[in-house]
Amino acid sequence: MSRTWTSRRAFLAGLCAAPFAPPLAAAQGNLLEKRESLYNNIFIFGDGDSVSMTFGQNKRYYTESNMKLSDPGALTVDYTRYMTLGIAYPPKLDRIMEIGLGGGRTVSYLNAVLPDTAILTVELDKDVVDLAKKHFKYKETARLRTVVSDGRAFLLKDTEKWDVILIDAYRGPFVPFHLLTKEFYTLVKSRLNPGGVVVQNIEPSTMLFDSATATLNSVFPSVDLYDGGGNVVAVGHDGPQLTQADLLARAAKVQERFKPRYNLTKLASERRVLSRPTGKILTDDFAPVETLRAIEKNNEKWKEQTEAPR
Amino acid sequence: MQHSFARGILLLVLALVLGFALMGFEMLGSRYLYPYFGGGINTWASLIATVLVALMLGYLIGGALVDRTLSPRLCGGLLIVAGTYLLTIPLWVDPLFTWMLTSVGDGMAGIVLAATALLLLPLTLMSVFTPFAVRLLLVSVAFGGRIVSYVYGVSTIGNVLGTLITTFVLVPSFGSRALTMIFAAVTVMCGLVMVLSDRFLRGDDA
Repeated sequence: MSRTWTSRRAFLAGLCAAPFAPPLAAAQGNLLEKRESLYNNIFIFGDGDSVSMTFGQNKRYYTESNMKLSDPGALTVDYTRYMTLGIAYPPKLDRIMEIGLGGGRTVSYLNAVLPDTAILTVELDKDVVDLAKKHFKYKETARLRTVVSDGRAFLLKDTEKWDVILIDAYRGPFVPFHLLTKEFYTLVKSRLNPGGVVVQNIEPSTMLFDSATATLNSVFPSVDLYDGGGNVVAVGHDGPQLTQADLLARAAKVQERFKPRYNLTKLASERRVLSRPTGKILTDDFAPVETLRAIEKNNEKWKEQTEAPR
Repeated sequence: MQHSFARGILLLVLALVLGFALMGFEMLGSRYLYPYFGGGINTWASLIATVLVALMLGYLIGGALVDRTLSPRLCGGLLIVAGTYLLTIPLWVDPLFTWMLTSVGDGMAGIVLAATALLLLPLTLMSVFTPFAVRLLLVSVAFGGRIVSYVYGVSTIGNVLGTLITTFVLVPSFGSRALTMIFAAVTVMCGLVMVLSDRFLRGDDA
């Protein structure tokens, strides 16, 4: 009993003190389950109608996923809606891959929206997959599959190509350095079909953001950024920048065909184009992510690197 | 007396520097392994196990060699081989790890094999130094305990500094390949010092 109370108190303190938790949803409530996996300390909290998955680190809790029990199809964490925007860009939507499952809300949503698309999630932590199934109604089917592996190791081994690759691989507050380098993005690019896009969730409050977007831009000539309510969603693709009219037309077409709940045209209208990347490009050889993450900056500053799309 | 003191200092400095480089390489090893095998506890377990196996082999081989031939030149030669091997890492690491990942996989076998290819041989050769240093310093059995404790103590201080400084200062400031080159060059230099001061270290001109 007192244990629950202590965790809860620590949890609430954590909420106030977490300046760079990636998806900082207002998750609270009772501890439903705690699991120490090979990679994380995973806490599942429930509060009435909501359940969230958090990773505990340094006495802080970083929300990895959140679901409304009465409406599991809703994407309650703002930035995840912008992650779905990836489906507006490519010419076809046969195969989508995600690195980093969390509660599996985004892929479950996409699976419901796109009836003919094969979706594969690569998740490092087997316990995350178990807990997603147990608490977040994540259901594997022939079209919605999960592989337990490091994302980069999987891409190296598996040469199949994808139309959209979503990257949301946070371990608590940080992204492992090998998923943020030029070599990694080059590998991602080589696994994309023509016209395919990479979509990544990036946390904007430290210097690491500048390097992450600059590195993405060093491989993908076109990078669009969307303000996902605290987190920024970056969409990168090969070739020239799409005109805003072109993107809106594509979004409208996909919207018309699949009728996703979160309107793609509306989401696409908030696009910013990365035009002045300022960060240092990260490589496998030199990626001081810990140092960069230690330098905090204004959450809104990233907009200075962008401009309105034409 | 003066001579044996200088000899002791030289050997302890070498123990410190080699201890630093050895753990520096372990930390750098993680930067080479992460891109292929991920950055989890499994990667670290493989690295640590590999380094410990290298230490064990180095101590065993070093002990056997030094009883047969008390030759600082031989020990220095092995250090030069170790450093040269380490210098070549950036040339072959990417193709080799790609091959290991695709043909062996990212399970324990794959990671341990990769860590072994990366570090086992050079770190074994580097830890051959320790029994050599103990034996070279062992002028009298009466001081045996202290000699062993100095060599291990100083070398462990080097390990600690190598771990912390590499992680918190060097890796955030330089590229991994550049650091590999620097550590490898330092190892080669330690070897050269031993080869060139062979007679001095034997205590021939005492």
